Amino acid sequence: MTAEEIRAHLDPIRDQFAEERSLVLPALKFAQGEKGHLTGDDVTEVAAATNLTPAYVESIASFYDRIYLDPVGKRVVSVCVSLSCMLNGSDELLEHLCSREGVSHEGGTSADGEITVQEAQCLGACDRAPCLQVDAEETMGPVTLSEADAVADRLRAEPQPRPVLR
Amino acid sequence: MPDYAPVDLTGTDLVEFELNGRTVKAPAGTMLVDACAANGVEVPIFCYEPRLGDPLGACRQCLVSVEGIPGLTTACSTPVAAEMMVDTVSEEVREAQDGILELLLENHPLDCPVCDKGGECPLQDRTFRFGPGESRMVEPKRHFPKPLKLSPQIALDRERCISCYRCVRFSQDVSEDGNLTMSERGGRSEITTFTGDSYNGRFTGNVIDLCPVGALTSIPYRFTSRPWDIQNTPSVCASCSVGCNTELTLREGEIKRVQGRDEPNWQVEEGWLCNVGRWGYGADQAPQRLRQPILRDGGETRECSLEEAVAAAGLVLAHEAHTTVLLGGDVTVEEAFIAKELAAGPLPDAQVGSAGVVGAALGPLRALPAAQLGDIDGADLVVVVGGDPANQHPVAELRLRKARRAGARIVLVGPRAQELESLGESIRTAPGNLAEGLTSAVAQIATVKRPLVVWDELDLDAEPDAAVVLATALGDNAAASQLELTSEVNGAGLRALGVAPHSRLVDQDLGGVLAVRANPGAGPGGDAWNRALDSGGPIVVIASHHSELTERATVVIPCSSHFEHEGVLVTAGQRAQRLRPGAAGPEQSAPGWEILIALSHRLGVALEYRSPRSAFAAATASAPALSGLDYDTLGDLGAEIATSPASDVNGAGAPRAHDGEGLPLVTGRSVFGGPEAHLSEGLVVTATGEEAVLHPAEAARLNVADANLITLNSPNGECTVRLRLDPGAPEGAVFAVRGVPGGTVESLLAPDRAPVNVTVNTA
Ligand code: SF4
Ligand code: FES
Repeated sequence: MTAEEIRAHLDPIRDQFAEERSLVLPALKFAQGEKGHLTGDDVTEVAAATNLTPAYVESIASFYDRIYLDPVGKRVVSVCVSLSCMLNGSDELLEHLCSREGVSHEGGTSADGEITVQEAQCLGACDRAPCLQVDAEETMGPVTLSEADAVADRLRAEPQPRPVLR
Repeated sequence: MPDYAPVDLTGTDLVEFELNGRTVKAPAGTMLVDACAANGVEVPIFCYEPRLGDPLGACRQCLVSVEGIPGLTTACSTPVAAEMMVDTVSEEVREAQDGILELLLENHPLDCPVCDKGGECPLQDRTFRFGPGESRMVEPKRHFPKPLKLSPQIALDRERCISCYRCVRFSQDVSEDGNLTMSERGGRSEITTFTGDSYNGRFTGNVIDLCPVGALTSIPYRFTSRPWDIQNTPSVCASCSVGCNTELTLREGEIKRVQGRDEPNWQVEEGWLCNVGRWGYGADQAPQRLRQPILRDGGETRECSLEEAVAAAGLVLAHEAHTTVLLGGDVTVEEAFIAKELAAGPLPDAQVGSAGVVGAALGPLRALPAAQLGDIDGADLVVVVGGDPANQHPVAELRLRKARRAGARIVLVGPRAQELESLGESIRTAPGNLAEGLTSAVAQIATVKRPLVVWDELDLDAEPDAAVVLATALGDNAAASQLELTSEVNGAGLRALGVAPHSRLVDQDLGGVLAVRANPGAGPGGDAWNRALDSGGPIVVIASHHSELTERATVVIPCSSHFEHEGVLVTAGQRAQRLRPGAAGPEQSAPGWEILIALSHRLGVALEYRSPRSAFAAATASAPALSGLDYDTLGDLGAEIATSPASDVNGAGAPRAHDGEGLPLVTGRSVFGGPEAHLSEGLVVTATGEEAVLHPAEAARLNVADANLITLNSPNGECTVRLRLDPGAPEGAVFAVRGVPGGTVESLLAPDRAPVNVTVNTA
């Protein structure tokens, strides 16, 4: 993704933001649409398009659970590990999904490249703890271990939606 | 590292406010933390640092109560206003500050006894003064495999970081390399680099001074000392003519660390150092350090005692019909003065010369009001003429960046492609065309309120017509000032003493030679010097390190390095500053001034100076530019010497013709490839080398290829060097880095650095 393309995307929405700096998030989201994640070059282009330093942009990108600085699978499953979910068993849920997909207990991408499991902070569904979210679209809970299996199987079977904001 | 900004309580713009029930004063708009400090009240801080630009408010440590502002407010980002009622000691404030410290310590390991910062750690100190006696945390803290090498010189212990962002702000907003960053947020925050590589740069070491905890520590210094068994001495860096004020840390007779001072010199370095200034002290312990006097008699070389060496020096020099004293560009005022006295009396028929250029056309420029580096802050236009501050006078770069951030217009005019061009308007001039290239800058100087010209001594010496143009333009604007970036560390001091450059001596019969910190064979016109030295008489060398000259000398007397003796250097901005000894140096070495005095005794006309202080007093009495100065007036921060009266340029203002065939040669030095960088253990991994740079089109015309060795030939000598192609380099000239130990670029130049052309061939 080039800075030109990113600027072209930002120009029409520029006046919706009081501070120019705030454009960095829409820019990152847009740039990520291309490959599903951001490379170092993408970050540099976003920086050029937003007049910020690459280090600053990367620092922001590193915070957001849905901005990826490394390649991810076709679908991303986020398990909330904040308080309510933790009290209701999110640790087991995460551990279960991780071992099922054969990734480290901190999350990762399955060997077939289909599914990425990751931790997430509060997904805003405390009443349905423990909850999980597929891409940035679908939040569900409370989720049992067998329901989690079913979700993973379904995601493998389903075609990948495009464009994805994961 | 200064925690609070200096506040001037003597001005007329003061407002009154109430501080803990007392009525006090400060200039309106001063940040509350600084105003409190100036009035004797300490408000604890971590993220605030007056030199890092606008306050960030990241740590919340500085909470105080201000009447009328609901809740507590951060004193680091609240400006003082008249009649404000401030409380920094109420129960509420005390509890809040205590609470913040408890939170900061939540993830901070309590490993102070094994932490390198322990004993001089702001977090530790402030926890004792303002913090909780105990932690209520029972949960496990963050753990990381320890420690990370942020760069070859900087270690990062991530678990100790309190996320104050000081280091990140330095990288983003001061050195503007932009490479340090905080990844993640909250409990997962981590300092890292954008590129994922090592944090390399010219100024990276400053983050160590800035870090208020033990997260960033110096790898060369780590675990060598404890704060209670060190001794700190204020001194001055002698690696370039900027003259940054330093603090030397001594332990067991050796310099273990150099850092920025807690009370910086705001007119010079503002507490920043470049990496060579910070880690160059390692050169003192290098194998090349002279540790034993040497005598060469016929074919025989033997070590001897200091006394024997001085006696032998006296003996061989006294037997000569005439003698030559050669001084390096970094001899102190005292050494130069005593050497002059020796030449005037005890030494037989002696002449004296020093490294450096004549600069016949530079007089009018030098006679204009001299600026200090600190004055760059207030300029609205800064014109940088020639040079390459980033590499030749590193800390000047930080001032230029600061001025740019403050809104000053920066114009760079000169023959080189250089990193700082992105700071503003850049006008590249073909060698010989500098005067013409100055046209637009000259027009701008006439129209602004506070123009300041930063000029490079060597580049303007090479193009005297440009110096004349510049002096006229500056003279026409009464508010204009000039700052000379001298090529020699003590160039201004040598000039003040009336020591002329030694280039005029190279064609003469040298007779017996006394060289003090000098090594002309490795400098411009090295081949001619070596011929002159070969046909001259015996050579006595007083030096701190081995060199080509010590290899051929009859008598070698080891002297103190600039970390080990007392003396005065007159650095950029004509600022006389005091070196102070941080360590004693090798047993069989002595300060240069002392050796010279001892030599005078041996020569039968004893000079009576008993200390550098008395030698300096005599020097000031003999040199009008230094008059009125003494060690006490120089104090810790130094003082400006008098500006020399304008001299007539006469015929010296004409352009200088280039000697030889081929393309004009433009050379530059890099502090980061100089002797300290190559000799110091901590720096050698990042030291840069000698190279020649050509534009690819020029290389194609000359039929030479990238990364190959090429041979450059000038009327003065020959040099073989690696070629780098750079599309950013101007066409029509050859660029080369000189001053690398063992390098030969310098031999292409004439002894007086007269402009030359070179032919280029594949080696
Ligand atoms: S490493 Fe030090 S300077 Fe940098 S944020 Fe952490 S505590 Fe602050
Ligand atoms: S010092 Fe004021 S918020 Fe950090």
